[in-house]
Amino acid sequence: MTDAPPAASPRLSVLWKTLEEPLQGTDAPLPTRLARAAVSWTGARRGALYIRDKENWVCAGLAGADAESLEPPESSGAAAIAPREGISWVPLAAEGEIHGRLVLEGLSSEDAAELVPFLSVVLGGLLGAHRYSRQVKEADFEVRTRLVELESLYDFGLSLVGQLDLASLADEVLFRSISLTDAGKGTLVLFHEDGRLMLERSLGGQLLEAQEFASWRLPEGEAVINNAAASVPTAGARLTSCAKCLAVPISVSGRRLGVLAVADKESRVGGVLDFTPADARLLSLFANQAAAAIETARLHRAAIEQERIERELELAAAIQREILPRSLPEIAGVELAAESLPTRQVGGDYYDLFPLSRGRLGFLVADVSGKGIPAALLVSTVHAAVHLQIDEAKTITELFTRIDRHLRRYAATRKFLTLFFGLFEPDSGRLAYVSAGHNPALLVRRSGLVEALGSTGVPLGMFPGASWKEETTTLAPEDLLCVYTDGLTEAVNAQEEEFGLERLSAALGGGREKPVRELCDRVLADVAAFAREMPQYDDQTILLLRRT
Amino acid sequence: MAAERRGDVAILSTDGYINNQGGEEIARQAYAQLETGARALVLNLEKTRIVNSIGISILIEVLEKVMDRKGQLAFCGLTPTIDKTFRIMGLAQYAAIYPTEAEAVQGVASA
Repeated sequence: MTDAPPAASPRLSVLWKTLEEPLQGTDAPLPTRLARAAVSWTGARRGALYIRDKENWVCAGLAGADAESLEPPESSGAAAIAPREGISWVPLAAEGEIHGRLVLEGLSSEDAAELVPFLSVVLGGLLGAHRYSRQVKEADFEVRTRLVELESLYDFGLSLVGQLDLASLADEVLFRSISLTDAGKGTLVLFHEDGRLMLERSLGGQLLEAQEFASWRLPEGEAVINNAAASVPTAGARLTSCAKCLAVPISVSGRRLGVLAVADKESRVGGVLDFTPADARLLSLFANQAAAAIETARLHRAAIEQERIERELELAAAIQREILPRSLPEIAGVELAAESLPTRQVGGDYYDLFPLSRGRLGFLVADVSGKGIPAALLVSTVHAAVHLQIDEAKTITELFTRIDRHLRRYAATRKFLTLFFGLFEPDSGRLAYVSAGHNPALLVRRSGLVEALGSTGVPLGMFPGASWKEETTTLAPEDLLCVYTDGLTEAVNAQEEEFGLERLSAALGGGREKPVRELCDRVLADVAAFAREMPQYDDQTILLLRRT
Repeated sequence: MAAERRGDVAILSTDGYINNQGGEEIARQAYAQLETGARALVLNLEKTRIVNSIGISILIEVLEKVMDRKGQLAFCGLTPTIDKTFRIMGLAQYAAIYPTEAEAVQGVASA
């Protein structure tokens, strides 16, 4: 308590003593304390203080028994001071504005005439100061709230840098959106590119079933305010768990990533307030920032996935390099060269050579369906099958039957392959072969004549119970055999022409006197020169065998 | 929400969204503690991740009430976002903010 000021007169001293406690107390709001002080000082039986709320007078303070039954003041201020049937209306004015009205009961006409003008000025000043103080506080609160919004957007932007955890990101977006719009609840959902639900976060209860969000027809790039959500559908969806809602799509370049929705904006005095265009702008800003961050996180994950795939491909390529022969066998009477160029890190082509008893040579070229890892796995299976069965099979056709059976039993997927297998006897020049749907091998005679060794059965793994026929031919000295895969003959140039069998035959014929290694390189160089910069989509494999 | 009393210091631990409902509950418990002789209040917001402007206005009312009684109010366990919000909204002008509950209790006890 502060010390009382020196009394200028006995009456003022009485006034101060009467007003001191009600005015300085903190047990009740100021309007109540003013009403009590007025009743106490004037000796009125009871009093009520009204303040204006928009167009209405609202009771803000009562003093004395049954004070609430005192009738509210009339809207006109002109007759305010005139007593009527023991009722005095006191305008509480300051700075030319009436801030409130005090209704006192039980004052005599004389007391009213003497005291009311004084009360009007003193209590009016106090009430006016109180109102201005409240208005300043409210304005200050409003300014600070806007500052929190701006800071929140700024901080949110900063927090997104390097934020790659979508769940944390979603929580951050949802919490800030609900908080800054004063919403009571909210939901955020994100979808995969194919529309499947990726993630759902809610606070205060889910607004819609997550799958319903996917079909929600929110206009692109626009926030939707529905302040009658309980009775009117929101962009086609009936929200049953809220009274008012505000929803925005989360999109990047027209691609829908998700939906952010908040509902039931709170009021300090209870009830639910309407969402405003300012709320919609704020939520849209959050949704835009979130969209950019979500897209960044998604691209990051895609990059990691791509890196993982590339690592797998490199590993598979390393395995496949082990499958292909590191060197070619030295067989008397035979000159050999082979090359395989995969179009990806790993391919679906496979060649192999097997030095056999009595100076014979087994060799094969295979082309499996598909590309990449699945093709490489099948190549690996074929490699295992051939190496397991080659010593067991008595004939080439039996070898094919065994490989076919092995594939059906162990291959992970229902794939097939073409395979040319030759068994060459250098001493006699006899070549026995079976071709399971493979491109015709080319036999280039010393004279330059080219013969095609066509398919002798269907591709392996294609039809259950299939069989293959063995054919034979003889290679004279200097005759050249070329077994290849279709990646070579089907290599295309910018005019979409294929390299073709004719160009291959010509290349082989033109260089038939060169060492086979040199010829092998030349053929591949011719194919590359033909295709120039055009990307090729199939592996290219060539195996050359010349009888010396 | 949990309440604990250590002498004339009351510790209120909030839980969840401090909005109209959450704020009213804090105010109710805070006023009850003041009525029963608490001189200082420590609000531990460790389990709260979200506060809206209605909740803040109620916290300001609680702060004013504590100041009217010449008491102390301190906050602890704030997330960085809530910490910043309280500082901008002016709560930190009259109420101390501490990282932990122990520091807050010690702070208001020695004030």
